[in-house]
Amino acid sequence: MKKTLLSSFVAFGLAVLPLTAQAGTVTVKGSDTMVILAQRWAEAFMKKNPATKIQVTGGGSGTGLAALQNGTTDIAMSSREIKEAEEEKLRARYNTPPSSVAVAKDGVTFYVNESNKVDALSVEQLKDIYLGDTTSWKAVGGADAPIVLYSRENSSGTYVFVKDTVLGGDDFASAAQTLPGTAAVVNAVSKEKNGIGYGGAAYAKGIKELKVKKGNEAFAPTAENVKSGKYPLSRELFFYLRNKPSGEAKAFIDFTLSAEGQAIVTQVGYFPVK
Amino acid sequence: MAQASTPQEALPTPPASEPREAVEPSATASAPQSSEQLPPRANAPTVPEGSPSIDERLTADEHRVEALEEQNTETKNDLSALKKLRISGYIQARYQYQQDLDDSGAGGYSRFGVRRGRLKATYTTDLSQFMLQIDAVPAGVTLKDAEATLFVPGTKQQLSVTLGQMKWPFGYEGPQSSSDREFPERSRVVRNMLPSERDRGAKVNGRYKWLRLAVGVFDGNGTDSGTTQDNDKEKDLVGHLGFDLKWIAGGISGWYGHDMGRLPTDTFRHAYDRTRIGADLQAYFDVVPLGGTSIKGEFIAGRTYGAANNATHLDVPAHGWYLLLVQNIGLNDAVAVRYDTFDPHNGQTDLAAGEVPGADNAVDTVGFVVQHHFGENLKVSAVYEIPMTHAVAQALDPHDNLFTLQMQARF
Repeated sequence: MKKTLLSSFVAFGLAVLPLTAQAGTVTVKGSDTMVILAQRWAEAFMKKNPATKIQVTGGGSGTGLAALQNGTTDIAMSSREIKEAEEEKLRARYNTPPSSVAVAKDGVTFYVNESNKVDALSVEQLKDIYLGDTTSWKAVGGADAPIVLYSRENSSGTYVFVKDTVLGGDDFASAAQTLPGTAAVVNAVSKEKNGIGYGGAAYAKGIKELKVKKGNEAFAPTAENVKSGKYPLSRELFFYLRNKPSGEAKAFIDFTLSAEGQAIVTQVGYFPVK
Repeated sequence: MAQASTPQEALPTPPASEPREAVEPSATASAPQSSEQLPPRANAPTVPEGSPSIDERLTADEHRVEALEEQNTETKNDLSALKKLRISGYIQARYQYQQDLDDSGAGGYSRFGVRRGRLKATYTTDLSQFMLQIDAVPAGVTLKDAEATLFVPGTKQQLSVTLGQMKWPFGYEGPQSSSDREFPERSRVVRNMLPSERDRGAKVNGRYKWLRLAVGVFDGNGTDSGTTQDNDKEKDLVGHLGFDLKWIAGGISGWYGHDMGRLPTDTFRHAYDRTRIGADLQAYFDVVPLGGTSIKGEFIAGRTYGAANNATHLDVPAHGWYLLLVQNIGLNDAVAVRYDTFDPHNGQTDLAAGEVPGADNAVDTVGFVVQHHFGENLKVSAVYEIPMTHAVAQALDPHDNLFTLQMQARF
């Protein structure tokens, strides 16, 4: 009986151990902030390596990290650091701690309509606005008009970054309208003269970027300020993998960190890590 | 509205496949005004006398939009509350074959079963968490966890206080979810020292960088004690102090309390010491090209343990340990081997009654697992375990090898 059981045990093992990796394709999923950047990287990389296909999709940092856990993506893009719970789940499932690579830098930018008189706000003022404690532009030096809040979905890494860094972990005001993607936030603010929203610098076209006050000075989200750390809301953008990068995924990551890859970072409007 | 001055330009007609949103809203809005400057089309509907003016209709439409915005805000608030609710669960259904105990054909079994049928609801806000977990299996429905948690304000949920029924914060395998474990059951030492793994009490849970602390006060007898209310005033202190450096984690555990019980030599019940100490370590490596590798081990020693209010082994010292090696193979497969040993009575010589080994003889068990994930929701495990009971004199190690084929579906 022992032999029979062991034989069936081994047979089962052999039957269920097919290699599932799809050779030649690397899937990249996650942060909406990073989608355009990753697409540009993918296009440039595939020109040089036609045998490798890079598939890039968005959905938010949380979605990407969940896909990494479910095995439905090779690389998760995230505009925030991985949470402890996410890291522990990955480690429990794949028996190795996930690895991360910082591939670009970004300054989370608050936008207002071009017609808004306000040019700069402190982190405290932004916090009061997004907690719903400040509801009129007049309170922060603007017109006597109600503030219309735009925010992101909670699967967004930018949402988590603003919640943690600006709001100190507190909840957004319930009046904040949730929009699917930073481009939608920019679009809404450009149409609503009393609107305020936030997102990555790369999307900030056609609306006014707010400077962020630090002491007596106010800093714009420029390359210089983000690199030097003077801009208070700068962050790194990450690639996360289940284990150490290898094969085609490693080749792609190496490309993103190369001089050519980092030049694409600048072209798209973000800031190089090197 | 800005385009009202150039109404003569015909609007491009979007192809049928194009979404409606492709039409500029401003262009659409300009259409009504254009009727004031252009002659009416032959097929244009006639506006009856006394019907509302264009301004009145626009005002009415604006009010409708405002009403829709309000409804949208309400819906969003409702959905926001629902997003905090998470329903999850898993079912572990299995087939098991245990060989006959001896050549007479006695013992052993071949049977199907549902080992666990868990349904869990968690509602988490910035300050609090509700968690309820039930287990629905053929034997009945039982409450597993009922936790009310307060996240201490200002700590970003790194410090919390929980009251209710929960797992003892002791060691690694006890608190670990059964859905994450490679083997269908916990090791023998954990099953004996932490029967049911749960109890009613209060717990503080804290994290600071790589440090982990969980400590609580519990009734002590566990949820397998057969009573829904504690039958004595003795309370047990249980805790785990750990660390987590990503590739290596572990900690030490302690338990101090008393169990009210009576030995055959006692006239009255006494408060006997119920103690445990433990150490656990988990290491994760990424050195084999096939996938991740983990090695986990745990040691537990204690006094007064077992089911039925620990009365089965009142004031009895025991110890045991296990070592587990798991190797992932690609994304969906893994193999694991575990060796565990448990001595139910420290210092007592192994016994024999004829060919039958003593009930408190030490048992070593070696087990093997092959598992495969079908997507993210289904895991199939084939497990073979070989228990080796210490046998002395004429006693024989019972034939109790066990094969388990388990399917786990979770969501």
